[in-house]
Amino acid sequence: MSIRKIVTLTEDVLIEGGRDVTPNARVAVVAAIVKNPWAGQGFVEDLSPGIDGNASDIGALLAPRVLEALGAPAEAYGKAAIVGLNGEIEHGSGLIHTLAFGNHFRDAANATTLLPAVEKRGPAGVVFDIPLKHITDATIRSHHQSIEVRINDAPHADEIVIALAAAAQGRPQQRLAAFATETK
Amino acid sequence: MNDQRLGIRKIVYYSEEILLENGLSPAVPAVRATAAAVVTNPWLGGEATDDLGEDVVQLAPVLARKLTDVLAANLGGVEAIQAFGKAAIVGTNGEIEHGAALIHTPFFGNLVREFFEGESIICFADDRADAGASLVVPLWHKNAAATRTHYQTITTRIGDAPRPDEIVVVLGASTGPRPHSRIGDRLTDPIVKADTVGELVS
Repeated sequence: MSIRKIVTLTEDVLIEGGRDVTPNARVAVVAAIVKNPWAGQGFVEDLSPGIDGNASDIGALLAPRVLEALGAPAEAYGKAAIVGLNGEIEHGSGLIHTLAFGNHFRDAANATTLLPAVEKRGPAGVVFDIPLKHITDATIRSHHQSIEVRINDAPHADEIVIALAAAAQGRPQQRLAAFATETK
Repeated sequence: MNDQRLGIRKIVYYSEEILLENGLSPAVPAVRATAAAVVTNPWLGGEATDDLGEDVVQLAPVLARKLTDVLAANLGGVEAIQAFGKAAIVGTNGEIEHGAALIHTPFFGNLVREFFEGESIICFADDRADAGASLVVPLWHKNAAATRTHYQTITTRIGDAPRPDEIVVVLGASTGPRPHSRIGDRLTDPIVKADTVGELVS
């Protein structure tokens, strides 16, 4: 696994809709900029050796860091794979859509649900939004949220940005009806 | 006075730890970071000749305290911080002077130097822009501004700020030099004049 850079982002919201958010709402992201394991190899039919050789290590690196950056128990979480322009979206998907990657975060956060994800391809500096949902019940509407990320010089064409996001709470000023309560 | 009463909507921390640059680990590892506060512009609707001093005294010290605290807490303490820089992005309903007021007076700069135990002038960038604009924040050594190894930058950006009525105030810091810095220093530079480089500039 070749990692060029690790990026940490936290956003604390103090005011939303003109009203105080108490306690402040925090969302954290940690991203690793890794070399695309399949760079320069043309179309690789079997991605499993590259997945087996990298996905678990990246998950193990990011999970404790994002929880440390959050500084509180995670209530919602999500993940991202942003593939540089020379790669396939399937390459990023391969690294994050495996239990070997996600279980590090799931176990560390005492979570049970699937991690919502964004996968896309773009140039260095591409803006991407990581979706987050509740860690034990993906129908808990108050916790549906997203965080915007941009890394100025990543991904290079032969790189992939792999990121985890965690929120310590639902949306600031959340006040929608719970899932299924408004249906007849 | 609490942060909300001062109009602080959001605090954003961003850091980059470089493990490889051109394939090689930096001999001296460093983390670069920014801490940014999104605040309501206290001077909206004022005149271009208004005295800005009263609000500077109320707001700028709080921002200096808060942003230095965020950076020190995340970077391993004040001792770990070697370089610093600052920036302001004013929303489109404000004056560039409003951003300058928050970062270019002793009520911000002197306090940042005191809290970071630095002595240098703090290098800066400022701009007026829509939400989501990115700005490159220059950093240099907190005690010896001419130390070339520490000339570096970090890009700051917040997706939903500044709104037209807001100002984003940014403090940047680094725990070390550029990766693989190797372009000499004032002590090792040759004397360079037009005559020295000859035909290249004639």
